[in-house]
Amino acid sequence: MYYKQFTRFFHVTRSVWGSTDKSALSALRKKTGYTFANCKKALELHENDLTKAEQWLKEQAQALGWSKATKLEGRATTQGLIGVLVQQHIGAMVEVNCETDFVARNENFQEFVGKASKACAHYISEVDNVNKITKIGLEGETLRNLKLEDGKTLNDHLALLIGTVGENASLKRAICYKSPESVRLSGYIHPTPDTPIEEGLLMLGKYGSIAAFNSNSEKTEEILNIHRKICQHIVGMNPLKIGDIEVDKPNEVKDEETCLIHQEFLLDPEVTIGQMLQEHNIKIIDFQRFECGEKIEYHEASQAAESS
Amino acid sequence: MSAYVAVRQILSPGFRTTFKQFLLNASTRQTCSPFIISQRFYAEKKIFERNKPHCNVGTIGHVDHGKTTLTAAITKVLSDQDLAESKLYTDIDNAPEEKARGITINVAHIEYQTENRHYGHTDCPGHADYIKNMITGTAQMDGAILVVAATDGAMPQTREHLLLAKQIGINHIVVFINKVDAADQEMVDLVEMEMRELMTEMGYDGDEAPFVKGSALCALEGKSPEIGSDAIIKLLAEIDRYVPTPVRDLDKPFMLPVESVYSIPGRGTVVTGRLERGVLKKGTECEFVGYNKVIKSTVTGVEMFRQTLEEAQAGDQLGALVRGVKRDEIKRGMVMAKPGTVKANDQIEAQVYILSKEEGGRHKPFTSFVQLQMFSKTWDCATQVIIPNKEMVMPGEDTALKLKLMRPMVLEKGQRFTLRDGNITLGTGVVTNILTPLTEKERIELTEGKKAREKKAKA
Repeated sequence: MYYKQFTRFFHVTRSVWGSTDKSALSALRKKTGYTFANCKKALELHENDLTKAEQWLKEQAQALGWSKATKLEGRATTQGLIGVLVQQHIGAMVEVNCETDFVARNENFQEFVGKASKACAHYISEVDNVNKITKIGLEGETLRNLKLEDGKTLNDHLALLIGTVGENASLKRAICYKSPESVRLSGYIHPTPDTPIEEGLLMLGKYGSIAAFNSNSEKTEEILNIHRKICQHIVGMNPLKIGDIEVDKPNEVKDEETCLIHQEFLLDPEVTIGQMLQEHNIKIIDFQRFECGEKIEYHEASQAAESS
Repeated sequence: MSAYVAVRQILSPGFRTTFKQFLLNASTRQTCSPFIISQRFYAEKKIFERNKPHCNVGTIGHVDHGKTTLTAAITKVLSDQDLAESKLYTDIDNAPEEKARGITINVAHIEYQTENRHYGHTDCPGHADYIKNMITGTAQMDGAILVVAATDGAMPQTREHLLLAKQIGINHIVVFINKVDAADQEMVDLVEMEMRELMTEMGYDGDEAPFVKGSALCALEGKSPEIGSDAIIKLLAEIDRYVPTPVRDLDKPFMLPVESVYSIPGRGTVVTGRLERGVLKKGTECEFVGYNKVIKSTVTGVEMFRQTLEEAQAGDQLGALVRGVKRDEIKRGMVMAKPGTVKANDQIEAQVYILSKEEGGRHKPFTSFVQLQMFSKTWDCATQVIIPNKEMVMPGEDTALKLKLMRPMVLEKGQRFTLRDGNITLGTGVVTNILTPLTEKERIELTEGKKAREKKAKA
């Protein structure tokens, strides 16, 4: 009898200790943004000490992210974003996928794509190239293990993201360019606001392209603008190769032309890209186009192409 | 043998009663015996009974918060009352690719009814699918059920979910806090508080929005009814109460897009077309709008299949005799309507889906100032397209567009149209906003070429 009462007493005290303070839970959730279940757990473990609980949550976030990532692994990711970062002679383009386009519109996700693009740009800037243009495709383990400034790998950050949005996400592929002084890189992203964008800023969208131009003429505003317009054309018209004026013959059906130089310019169908390049004395050396969610042949993207 | 007869004798009264019951119930099955499972013994299509107002709703929310489970649970709970056909989770989850107006959408459409209303329920996986659904209008959503798990609370992308709801014109949201079996009361209360705050922040009435707490899984598995089936019933009651019934086309002022005009000797001018909404009677005053004209007249007779009609209702294909109007004054594309209810407009904002090449659209993107032919109701008109905030639009994308018509035509909010370029259908859209009419100067600018625009931009 006494024992029973004692246990009941004990139980009551336990529940007082065990239940979390409502205001504390709400405060912690507001401050950290972690799920209610996790915030509650943190408070229970640290006897409603807000600071300790917050610290614990931050420490746990990585592990929680990982466990969520493992749980969601294998769920198809067909949506996402392309990030393009071009800084004069360094260029990086990354594709990150997620499950729904709602997440792709979320700022947490966009922030991550930015981090991934910066990591790739940093990676290529360390590559030694002597007067050569270097193009490196990254994917799988190499891409995931890129280190960020804070010492964590991209994969760690990806797990954190998965933990935050509660949806599967994956780093699909990346392409990096490094060019010598004589070659200029340019990038384009779609959709782009109709106002000029400053160079060197991160751009996010559904389609992206980077192209390398060799122009002997001065790098005036106008030339740079043409570089950009050609990148826009690449996004819009999806050419498969640059083409050689002497080797490749124009396709008889104009709409099915896959050779860049024979394609009609998107913004002015009266000239072809080839004519435009000639007029402005520009040479296009290489280009790469990413379309978010497109199916790719994996071996192709991982090849590292080098050309002088 | 004797044993067999004995068995028959014992059983046969039972047989008889069940058979009688069956006969009795068969005639009144829909109305008064909800406990009998509806079963068909013959291959005949069920007849849709139009005895309740119809309303369209849909579920939105995070992928793991139980949208599909909730939808399945609703059909399960209602099927117990013989108000719906029970659907399995997998039936809804594998939203089939549906082709609406040649556009592929991933969407699950389910129907069910409560005591008060009949519902169409939409569930889509992505933002783009909801937009396409809105544009093609397979089922316009009048209200939405936002599903939030009590364990997680609002997720970062819940903001995006609410933004979408705003964008597709949903004004009434009922929130279902799911998975309460895995959370405690405080957490549920906090999730509610947080959601109300978020909804207010996103421009919804967070304080008034109904919240229902329960567990869709429990309802689906038939466990703990107080958070299972009872919660579902409560949710449906809240939807019945909170989401207003859309005004039926029949109850709106009448409107008929003119298909053709005839002159019948001895009688006068007859216009034909399909009455899109409202009711049309002999002697009604009417107005013809379109091609910069507004002509007033009176309907002196309504005919269908060469027979005089007392009253034509929305959906009827009819001919209307109009007084005092010459045949060549009216043209196909004009709209006959109750005076003052429709207006011709020439500048609108629209949400448009651009068909991908596979769907029969263009393979090329387009940029601002492209001129396309716009088709809506029975009219078509050349239109200049302006893309706000973007440089171009790719095939397979949805986008907001600003359209400037060469001449004012009947256009109202919610009206659907198609954009064509030559013989290719480029996209289909819905009017989201009517802008101020073009000035005379702007109208002249519409016909200017690219060169003139560039010149002006430089100057």
